[in-house]
Amino acid sequence: MAMPTVLRFGGNRRNGDRKNADRPPQNKIFFILLAAPGIIWLALLFIVPFYDVFAIAGGRLNFLTESPVPVYNPLHWSHATLVTTWHDIFGVGSFALPIIWRTVWYTAVAAALCVLIGYPAAYFVARFAGRRKALFLVLLIAPFWISYMMRMLAWIDLLQTNGYINKVLGSIGLPGDINWLGGKWYTVVLGLVYGYIPYLILVLYAGLDRIDGSLLEAGRDLGLGRTRTFIKVTLPLSRQPILTGMLITVLPMLGDYFTNTLLSGTRGTAMIGNVIQGQLATNGFQGEGAVLSLLLLVVLVAPMIYYVRATAKSAREAS
Amino acid sequence: MHPKEGWHDGKPPIPGVSRRGFLRRGAGAGAALLGAGGASSLLAACSSELLADTGHRALPLPRPNNPVTWPIYADNKPIPSGMQAERNATLKIYNWVAYVNPKCLKDFGKKYNCNVEVTTFNTMTEALAKLSSGKVNFDVFMGVTNDVIGKTVAQKLIQPLNHSYIPNIGQNWREYTSPFYDQRWQYTVPYTIYTTGISWRKDHIPDDPGSWPNGYAFPWQSKYAGKVAILDDYRESPSLALMKNGIYDLNTTDPKQITLARESLLELARLTDVHIDNNDYTNIPTGQMWIHHSWSGDMAASWQYLPKGVPADVIGYWFPSDGKGPTANDTLTVLRGAQNPVLAHLFLNYLQDLPNALTNISYNGYMQPVYGVTPARLVHEGILPKTLISTVVLEENFKNGLWELQLPIQTDLAWQQAWQVVSLGI
Amino acid sequence: MTSTATTTAAPATSAAPAKAGLPWPRRNPWRHPWFLEGFTWLYLIWSLVPIALAVLFSFNNGKSQSVWQGFSWRWYFTDPVNSVAHNSVLQLAILQTVKLSAYTTLIAVPLGVTFALGIHRWRTRTSASFNFVMLLSFVIPELIFGVAMFFVFTSLFRPVGLGTLAETLALVTWNVSWPAIIVQARLATIGDSYSEAAADLGCTPFQTMRRVMLPLLFPAIFASAILIFSSVIDDFVIVDLLSNSAANTPMSVYIYSQQHGGNGGPALNALGTIMLLMSFIIAILGYVGYRAMTRGERGSTTDTLTTIAGA
Repeated sequence: MAMPTVLRFGGNRRNGDRKNADRPPQNKIFFILLAAPGIIWLALLFIVPFYDVFAIAGGRLNFLTESPVPVYNPLHWSHATLVTTWHDIFGVGSFALPIIWRTVWYTAVAAALCVLIGYPAAYFVARFAGRRKALFLVLLIAPFWISYMMRMLAWIDLLQTNGYINKVLGSIGLPGDINWLGGKWYTVVLGLVYGYIPYLILVLYAGLDRIDGSLLEAGRDLGLGRTRTFIKVTLPLSRQPILTGMLITVLPMLGDYFTNTLLSGTRGTAMIGNVIQGQLATNGFQGEGAVLSLLLLVVLVAPMIYYVRATAKSAREAS
Repeated sequence: MHPKEGWHDGKPPIPGVSRRGFLRRGAGAGAALLGAGGASSLLAACSSELLADTGHRALPLPRPNNPVTWPIYADNKPIPSGMQAERNATLKIYNWVAYVNPKCLKDFGKKYNCNVEVTTFNTMTEALAKLSSGKVNFDVFMGVTNDVIGKTVAQKLIQPLNHSYIPNIGQNWREYTSPFYDQRWQYTVPYTIYTTGISWRKDHIPDDPGSWPNGYAFPWQSKYAGKVAILDDYRESPSLALMKNGIYDLNTTDPKQITLARESLLELARLTDVHIDNNDYTNIPTGQMWIHHSWSGDMAASWQYLPKGVPADVIGYWFPSDGKGPTANDTLTVLRGAQNPVLAHLFLNYLQDLPNALTNISYNGYMQPVYGVTPARLVHEGILPKTLISTVVLEENFKNGLWELQLPIQTDLAWQQAWQVVSLGI
Repeated sequence: MTSTATTTAAPATSAAPAKAGLPWPRRNPWRHPWFLEGFTWLYLIWSLVPIALAVLFSFNNGKSQSVWQGFSWRWYFTDPVNSVAHNSVLQLAILQTVKLSAYTTLIAVPLGVTFALGIHRWRTRTSASFNFVMLLSFVIPELIFGVAMFFVFTSLFRPVGLGTLAETLALVTWNVSWPAIIVQARLATIGDSYSEAAADLGCTPFQTMRRVMLPLLFPAIFASAILIFSSVIDDFVIVDLLSNSAANTPMSVYIYSQQHGGNGGPALNALGTIMLLMSFIIAILGYVGYRAMTRGERGSTTDTLTTIAGA
């Protein structure tokens, strides 16, 4: 689930290409051979599977087993499942559109909260933790090493009607009978924040830690207060980490179904991931699951490419 | 009857019309056609674009007044008699979550010197999807609801049974030696019997579904929003909605009634933010839910999950006193790909034995149609609290009860579609 | 919005001139930001205390995951049926997690490393596009990837079917980008001078790889192995979609399906705790190992920490 920031180094570095051109050709073959296993693997197990999703989406249904029958020739693809799914989303009495909107706003709120909570913490550890930096960093990274399921389990335990959260609330005179797990949007959003914030914090920390301290000192020496240094120097420099961090939390959130199932279990909080997963687990509906996941992919291709490009670009600037 | 009558606009289905397009256009007439035995003509009318497999005939629909004997295929025969149990084997079982006493499995393993490994599923839909995705190597498929037996037979997922390994069938109620859904028990032995009713927390809800003219309408109460749950099952929950609306044909093929059921469930969701899960056996005792659409067996075991100090009588289970509610039994089957078919047969036999059945019920809650499993005995042995005696299933329940049975395939998909819209995969 | 918290951290600084009347001394810009530190501690409490409680409840002497009923080893050893020591399905889940992590690491690391080495020097349009595909595989939402894997193993590659093989193949594809990216990054920092020097001294490309590049890259390769191992322990979506029996259900999926099926209980917490211990052991091994390997290079404790977490 984790997505790191190492991409900042990666990408297609073009400089130095000329030198390689001078190399004898057998060297080139050596390097092609080196890359070949990875390329073949990706082709067979990444590109082909996505073609297979298209084949399922454009395929038919075996009425006996109710399982999808892929059609591999694009000329014979049927648009029927696509049309049905389109009707599910935009047709009269559609059920999917509200879910899409809900997914968007849950994700947006959760991502914003992730930044609002994660940024100050990452900022503090990166800039002010001093000699205790390693300690803070260990604590900050710890959730990263704890399984998502374990972390959800922790909240399920706490949020039971007779759990500790309600007990604490009750003991300080607040209503202690909140049915947290009874389909509350805030439980789901907080679950998402809790689940994905470690990844964001890590990215933010790495980004903020890389900011050259002398820039900040220069700002202060020039008479800027701490706040203005922050606004004039730190914030602009952390735009990129914030964006990357948001992307690496938003992308998996959009495909999340387990958080919802575990922390809510009502249709009122269902997200698009739940629908796709449900269709995949129901014979006769797997074709629609294929279409829906392709549609999701289409929407996300742009941010994904942006992410890859942006990180590659910052890598070029860094090197 | 001309197949074209199925299409509202009078036009033939466009090439590549999808299953659901097909449903929307033809559900009503299609279902009627199928009911009248016109399935093959309707299916033939569909272009090959729609159906990858046009060759097969529609499955027979078992009903109490239309018992069905499933065919035994040449490439799927029962195992020979007189074989020894497999040695050093691991018996692989596919079962619902918490639907067999782990102690029974341990004891069976000891008795036959084998390991027992259980894989669980949460809904029948999920189980069938995984099974038909190929390459599974379970031996026993437990808790198969009787509406899907036809499908599993036709897909050759399960194998016919060799009766010589299962002498304990004689311990079962007599009608189960040849139930209408599987005459001469060729593929199944009975597992559990249960009714589907409403459970509620008496300490939080003063009202009683029994005092309502229609107890199945009990969940539709907005004042208990957030505390109401229905079963995650594409047959049970729409059936609940049908009965709420006074429709007692739970195998209806009428698209209007399916739509009505769907709309009622959506209304329930609006009113109560209804929870969808099969965890009635824990959610009611822990107080996570106050009203739960429930299986009797789950509720019979639910008192074991009560927190310390909460008395068993806070849990109520209602099933209509005239018996007009869903009544069913689940079955035990041996999968066709079983690696240990002999052990699998022996396991089926093992669970039919009265002492083992009682051990199982003491954990599972679900009664088995085994002679000697009587309400008095369950109460006497401390397996069932008196206050939950309403969960008991008697032989006469099967005479008055309503059955959720196999549907024509198009109707089946329409039900699933309705359920998808309600549950959204939650 | 991002600035709110930090602005409050030093409220007086910017507002000072406006507050005429009061002689507000200009604050020391180097003072310790107590508010930020407090906020960070609050965050850490929020993020870690629930997990500590979940670990605690694995020792609960009762069936409840939310009401403490005294300490016991019941769910680890003593319960004759449901404890980790006596429930073979729980052990299968642990075993499967370890197996998948090991298989995936063993396959994905060489695959990713050779890919990176090859791509680094073979620069054409083809290689660039495959590098791009590699990066895409890195950022694609896991559910979409999992759906594709589910379909391909149940239709086109049906002989593979669902199960351990499918899980391994999918996890390798999902994780192969770690070594590919980390090694490419390392190659970029190392530069081409070493390999050129080696070539000038008459090394064949193969010798250069073995004698020069691999030793230089070893810390990066090691870090990526640690990352893969731990991310497979944590993986859920792919294995949830591709598992089909108890024998190939890893811990994360087992915990999810039991909790979802209402069969939760402290035994799940015990399983989660074991998972947590495994990850921590890997993390510590990774930390110690990486430190040992990069001895003599510049770099600090904190750099090592972020490296083994993938940042």
